[in-house]
Amino acid sequence: MASGRLAGGPFTSGLTVPDFAACLQMGLEPVGFVQGFCVMKWGWYGANSQYLRSGSPYGASHGQYAEQWRCPHGFVSNEHRTWGQNYEQPWVEGAWGQGFGSAYERMLQEAVACGAHGVVGVVDTSMHLGDTGALEFHVRGTAVKVVDGPAPHGGIPWTTYLAGQRLAKLIEAGYAPVAIAASVASVRVWAYCITEYLMGGNAGTWGMQSSTSEIEQVAKAHMAVRRIARDHVRGQLAGDSFLGAQMSVSERELSEGDQVIECTLRGNRVRRFKEFDPLPAPRPTVRLS
Amino acid sequence: MNGPESRESPAGGETPQLGQPDHVDIRSELLRAARALADPREVQATGGHEATSDLTVDEELVLHSVGWEPVELLSGVSMFSVPVGSWTWGRGEIGSATAAHMHAFSAAVARMHSECTKVGGHGVVGVQVEHTVRSHHISVELVGTAVRPASSAKAKATGEAPVFVSDLSARDFSLLHASGWHPVGLAVGASYVYAPRRSAKDAMQQKTQNVELTNFTEAMYSARELAMERMQKAAIDLRGSGIVEVKVGEGSLGFARHVVAFSAWGTVVRLVGQSHRYLQPVMVLPLDDANVGFGLQALRGS
Repeated sequence: MASGRLAGGPFTSGLTVPDFAACLQMGLEPVGFVQGFCVMKWGWYGANSQYLRSGSPYGASHGQYAEQWRCPHGFVSNEHRTWGQNYEQPWVEGAWGQGFGSAYERMLQEAVACGAHGVVGVVDTSMHLGDTGALEFHVRGTAVKVVDGPAPHGGIPWTTYLAGQRLAKLIEAGYAPVAIAASVASVRVWAYCITEYLMGGNAGTWGMQSSTSEIEQVAKAHMAVRRIARDHVRGQLAGDSFLGAQMSVSERELSEGDQVIECTLRGNRVRRFKEFDPLPAPRPTVRLS
Repeated sequence: MNGPESRESPAGGETPQLGQPDHVDIRSELLRAARALADPREVQATGGHEATSDLTVDEELVLHSVGWEPVELLSGVSMFSVPVGSWTWGRGEIGSATAAHMHAFSAAVARMHSECTKVGGHGVVGVQVEHTVRSHHISVELVGTAVRPASSAKAKATGEAPVFVSDLSARDFSLLHASGWHPVGLAVGASYVYAPRRSAKDAMQQKTQNVELTNFTEAMYSARELAMERMQKAAIDLRGSGIVEVKVGEGSLGFARHVVAFSAWGTVVRLVGQSHRYLQPVMVLPLDDANVGFGLQALRGS
């Protein structure tokens, strides 16, 4: 759509002036501010959903995280939470990956249209479109050419969240930017009776809770969601390293005793291109400004 | 600390040697990187390894300069319940809330410690500590990067030191290392104390006066003392010489304004050399632009 505009005319860039100057110094020429969008609506519970198993979307497939807890009290009442479960929600992760991935691919297509070798200073955002229930993914960055540089492997430009001085330091450290890497992990927590009581600060019908106890089910869900996000990113590395990770975790309570914990992890996939060459011990300085 | 320009090897001696920066041709380095990416066969055995970390490029560089490298991004989380009725009016310390905070912190550190051991790390640096206090539970979340010596010689020099968890940044870890000290763990102290009600008579008399609310001041001092004492005891248990970068959080709770909370945590350190090594900083007038430009916060989205 934008190939005509990107192919000619003055260059556009999202770089700050210091980053712009640093990129020129390195031999990187900006050629265009490239962007990719994707608006997603989730349809996990539809009749044709690939995630429906025996009429229920719940339960873990092979290799996915799931843990169960059983009530120690025996039958108490119909309302009593006799079992609890933590389980990974691959459909949430897949849907996020599809939206993010599509926006990213579209940004790359624009970069290819510019004849770029890479995209620097990538920023990605996602936001709800009003109350439509849809989520918009927006990935953008500045497409650059390496002066006298070869075409990228497979014609696909490399990408990085870094720009300017930070990118220069990365290169000097012996790392080449390969791609941005991001993942989302989602774990649903269905509380069993003990978790429910502890979250409410009491022991239910079994008397007052007299001392503090670990809420193991929720703590394990938090540990799992972070590990899964990291493992998803690890799956994208193919022997490379992942630097500058930014991890954010959110919790949502869907109803009493039913919550979702999500973890988003972003960072730079980098590849060492020269021998390990540690710096000498840095010189401590006192700034005069 | 300075940027990565210096390439002169350090000479021996107790204090880090200062080299004159030599010119780095960043253009040719970039071309070399671009060629390596264009033709993966050009990437020979370069000593790289698959690692994940939340360190910045600067931090990773400075970590490498003292012979350490990142291994894995780790986390440790724990959540402890606070029994119903704990926050109702009373006197003295709220034992259950204090215990919940202390236990949650210890369990989170223990999990991080265990994860670090599993991935072959010698310690965790740059641990971000977050704690949340709610009416019925207190949670502690830790995120950091496991690190290890980059070479077997360095690992041997480090010896059989126990795995450490530290909230020092990689930069501070390197500086500490250069000074002859070593982190040994995280110490925490917490206390939740009731600020007792003023009597009706006092409240009426003080209504139109500027007065110190001594019940709150005293509760604050009490909570502070108990928490700091616990933190120092934790340092003794870790056989540390002291605690650096102590952070404190204090104030009344939103859902229980009559309760004063105080928590303190920091990295326990121990001198591993014969004596402290004095570093002689150089005064500089930086010419770089103060504009950060690309904000990492922007990555989080709106």
